[in-house]
Amino acid sequence: MKSKKILSVLLAGALTLSCMACGSNETAGSDKGSADAAAEGTTGDSTASDGAEAAGDGKLVIWTLSNDLIDFGARFQDQTGVEVETVVIEPANYPTKVQTALLAGETEPDIIVGEPKMLEDFYDAGFFADLDEFGAQDYADQIVDYVWEVGQDADGIQRAISWQITPAGIYYRRDIAQEVFGTEDPDEIGKLFADYPTILDTAQKLKAAGYRIFSSDAEMNVFSGDTAWVVDGVLNVDQSRIDYMDLCVSLYQGDLTAYANQWSTPWYQAMAGEVPILTADIQNYADDSVNVWDAEQFEEATQGMETTEVFAFGLPSWGVLTLRDNVKDTSGLWGVCSGPAYGFDGGTYIGISSNSERKDTAWEFVKFCTLNEETADWWIEYSQGDSVSLKSALEKHKDDENEVYGGQKLYQFWLGQAEGIDTSKVTRYDQALGDAWGNAISAIKTGEKSKEDAIAEFYDVVESSYPEITVNR
Amino acid sequence: MGTGFKIKKAILYFLLILLGMVCLLPFLLMIVNATRSGVEIVNSFTLIPSTHLKENWDTVFEYFNLFQGIWNSVKVAVPATLLTAYFSALTAYGLAMYKFKGNKFIFTMILLFMMIPGQLGLIGFYNLCTRLHLVNSYIPLIIPAVAAPGTVFFLRQYVLSVLPPSLVEAARIDGAGELYSFHRIVLPIMSPGIATMAIMAFIGNWNNYLLPMIILNKNEKFTLPVMMATLKASTNIQSNQGAIYLAVAISVIPILLVFCFCSKYIISSVSAGSVKE
Repeated sequence: MKSKKILSVLLAGALTLSCMACGSNETAGSDKGSADAAAEGTTGDSTASDGAEAAGDGKLVIWTLSNDLIDFGARFQDQTGVEVETVVIEPANYPTKVQTALLAGETEPDIIVGEPKMLEDFYDAGFFADLDEFGAQDYADQIVDYVWEVGQDADGIQRAISWQITPAGIYYRRDIAQEVFGTEDPDEIGKLFADYPTILDTAQKLKAAGYRIFSSDAEMNVFSGDTAWVVDGVLNVDQSRIDYMDLCVSLYQGDLTAYANQWSTPWYQAMAGEVPILTADIQNYADDSVNVWDAEQFEEATQGMETTEVFAFGLPSWGVLTLRDNVKDTSGLWGVCSGPAYGFDGGTYIGISSNSERKDTAWEFVKFCTLNEETADWWIEYSQGDSVSLKSALEKHKDDENEVYGGQKLYQFWLGQAEGIDTSKVTRYDQALGDAWGNAISAIKTGEKSKEDAIAEFYDVVESSYPEITVNR
Repeated sequence: MGTGFKIKKAILYFLLILLGMVCLLPFLLMIVNATRSGVEIVNSFTLIPSTHLKENWDTVFEYFNLFQGIWNSVKVAVPATLLTAYFSALTAYGLAMYKFKGNKFIFTMILLFMMIPGQLGLIGFYNLCTRLHLVNSYIPLIIPAVAAPGTVFFLRQYVLSVLPPSLVEAARIDGAGELYSFHRIVLPIMSPGIATMAIMAFIGNWNNYLLPMIILNKNEKFTLPVMMATLKASTNIQSNQGAIYLAVAISVIPILLVFCFCSKYIISSVSAGSVKE
């Protein structure tokens, strides 16, 4: 009996709902706002496009993929009284979301953002408004050059600006440097990483002293963009790419790393001190007796294994925060020096949606985030160590000392690294080709393929994925 | 009750307990991880709860109002599930019990539509919603649930196997109208099948991410999965790990509730003995 009752309630509910829903669906075409409000039983949320019809209404809608902009937005609202609505979308789906909305002609969002790897596609699709119309070029010399250039499309029109710089550096242990090389000076240590053969040499010296140079063999990846992947539509595999490949293979086969994978448990643990030296088989999962993602089991399985301490990590400037959270007892023992080349990774670039009807307010916001020294000061303080792109702020903070890194003046260092970045080497293919090249390296180092075969396969992959690129074997 | 039987039983129980543990371990892990900080989660693995539940809770609420998300998801998932269940049952019954021209053709078309992934028409669907001024409303998430080819397919097979045509004929002879006999006779008999599909539909709607992510533009209208994804958008992903686990752990509760509710149906309403041959 009881079940029958529930069933009838369910049915009644389904019927009423379906009637309501159908009814409102029919009226939706003619009477837009009230229809969905009625169906939902809520009032007051009319459709989004309605809100956008009034321009300059003291409102700003931001779609972002990192929650930093929530804080920027709240601050902007406090200072200007403009009502800021920040919507955060997960990075993986951000391009899809922006694409669908802008292609359908939505006038909201007003502010859209992008990471360097998405930017060129966004430029080509015309999603970003022309910032030069607002006089962006007047500010050209206030922002670190590479950031300014990444924000330009192929015709040199300013489309987006970032508030951060993300140059790559090598994070090393000062105490180990002192012991093995007799110095902990960043300039001197930088020389030990000056080029790929030197790094190999450094790695061997460290091994002889009972240490390992890197935790994983992928640490130099952020620096490997020394030459452009594609020049005038032709695939360019420079000698430095081959050198990088050789280095990775030598590090791996010469037993010179701790055989961890980046972002796995032992990789993080290596930041805090001693870690077991794994074997090549564990790293590539051929030997599954050790679970590298599971610390307790990991500790058990690696008991009795030889341990070591890791000398260095290669990460962009946001690595400052990653290390800060994981170094534990080795806090203060770290230093940062330059790598074999200049490189950068990530960064959020802000621009104005070309459909926006509040472009002037939006431009105020872009200026507020990127070109306002007071904002930059606040952000340095608030983020506890993120690096900004505004030159005057970097100048002002150049004597700030970071205690985790032995009191090193990091902002000065990052500015120097950022100035060395040459954006003409950045192409839209970097991510995909870098990954394919990484696969080739993995295949060689594990002995799965010969060097010739792996490179030939890399060419095949490029040819089939990007028909527009000419491949000269 | 010989010893052989006892041993068999022991082995059976052992295997079942093992299976139960395998199924429950991920849930347990999720709950334990919900109490640990991000750094702890990245660094080690344990079944001993830690002390960061409050911090994780605060982190979650710093990003969004979890209860608002649950309520939004309920507003989408419950009507959508009911629509799917009722209309699929209606369609399936029609296709299985009535003989008319084009029956086969319609069924084939439904089968065909089952094969087309919905994501393909995403941009077109969004455009349609813009024209109808339905962006940012729940209607585009609920109404399409009426047409669920997979559910219709399943239920049609189910009707054919559990519902003897003579039962409906008997109702007709007694003077019942077609809809009346569907509601009073066919639906109760079909309810185990409907309950099964309703669980599936509810879980699908509850966890649906792509469509709400595209259609909804306001923070306060986001459904739970879209809200939870914003935790991954942080620059501080590592420290948010615990908060993500906590949010997921809480978001599973409604699914468990629905499952308990529907599984009772599956067990209780078996149509045995409704026809005497």
